[in-house]
Amino acid sequence: MNSQRFDEETLNRNLALLAEETASLNAPPEVEQKLLEVFRARRVSAPTYGRYWLVAAAAMILIVIGVVALRSQTDKPKPEFARQTEQPPIKQQPIVEEPKVDQPQPAPQQFVAERPRRRSIRRAPRSEVANHMNREIATDFMPLGYLNPATLQDGGQIIRVEVPRSALVNFGLPVNPDRYHEKVKADVLFGVDGMAHAIRFVKNQ
Amino acid sequence: MNLKSELGDNELLRLMLAGDEQAFALLYRRRQGNVYRFALQMSGSKCIAEDVTQEVFLFLMREGQVFDPARGSLSSFLLGVARNHVLRRMRVDQMLTPIGDDDDAEAGLPGTEIDWRPLDDLARAETIELVRKAVLSLPAKYREVVVLCELQDVSYGEAAEVLGCAIGTVRSRLHRARGLLLSKLRPAEQVDEEASASLKSAGCFA
Repeated sequence: MNSQRFDEETLNRNLALLAEETASLNAPPEVEQKLLEVFRARRVSAPTYGRYWLVAAAAMILIVIGVVALRSQTDKPKPEFARQTEQPPIKQQPIVEEPKVDQPQPAPQQFVAERPRRRSIRRAPRSEVANHMNREIATDFMPLGYLNPATLQDGGQIIRVEVPRSALVNFGLPVNPDRYHEKVKADVLFGVDGMAHAIRFVKNQ
Repeated sequence: MNLKSELGDNELLRLMLAGDEQAFALLYRRRQGNVYRFALQMSGSKCIAEDVTQEVFLFLMREGQVFDPARGSLSSFLLGVARNHVLRRMRVDQMLTPIGDDDDAEAGLPGTEIDWRPLDDLARAETIELVRKAVLSLPAKYREVVVLCELQDVSYGEAAEVLGCAIGTVRSRLHRARGLLLSKLRPAEQVDEEASASLKSAGCFA
């Protein structure tokens, strides 16, 4: 018991000695110098953080404005579309419609290539075509040379042209010799490759 | 300067976070000693103690706003941060221990060769060295309570704040740590006694 108390006392004394020995120890002055330098550097750079925030906020506002402007532009095709329909029908106006070719044809959905084009080009002429269809009689599309239907899968254009009536002979159609030199309306089907693939002749009712 | 030196730690911290360099310097000078000594007594290495002190005050600069006065004193907060850094550093050092690390650890102590072994007080220096080695050989969880409660004279309550545990845990760990220290130091005393006994017997035979 006594020896244990002696041990405890000795331990306390020894620990106190160690504590006393280390009590005056401090970090070297270089540490303070380094920390003060860092502190000054941080203080100097602190306002720039504020500036960064301002720049970031301005950038965000610009992005938001840009997105809003883009959205408003993408919603605008309606007025453009109206303008197109207001224009009087011109002779060589591109008309996109499902071609009636004798040979097997691609599905109508596959015929049109891109969506934006579809909205701006296709819808306006549709009414035109409907009006034409009411007033015109047209032959079926006749292939001009070899027609590979696959070439029409990417889309195409029908262009209204006038050709000499003598051209009807080439397709085996009857021609009145008295009107041999007159012109006749025709719709030529152009593929995306720019080649004329088919033709149909049109007559006003 | 004099007015600021009368301010409490929390007020100085507030000023420091607002960019007051003087407040930071005052706070550093007031608290660096505790942090440095704690790191030194925990690691036994001057280099680690310096690094840890620097890291602790850098942390205070960057993340000082996380300190919550309601949860304890700033001193406890800083010692807690120092403890985390020391333990992390010791874990890393354990993985990278080179051959002959014991010698380095001894060499890292404050003036091991010159200050701690003056010729006129060799016995005292040797005792301190023995106790220091015994403390350093304790497992970390016992070492930290000895360093805080016995060497830093921190109250049990503050030690509990630093270690993030209950006061009862601090007490029990300290009790266990003292037992371990006694068992480590006792053989040395016994060896001394045995040596002196053998000298006496040698004297008899002489």
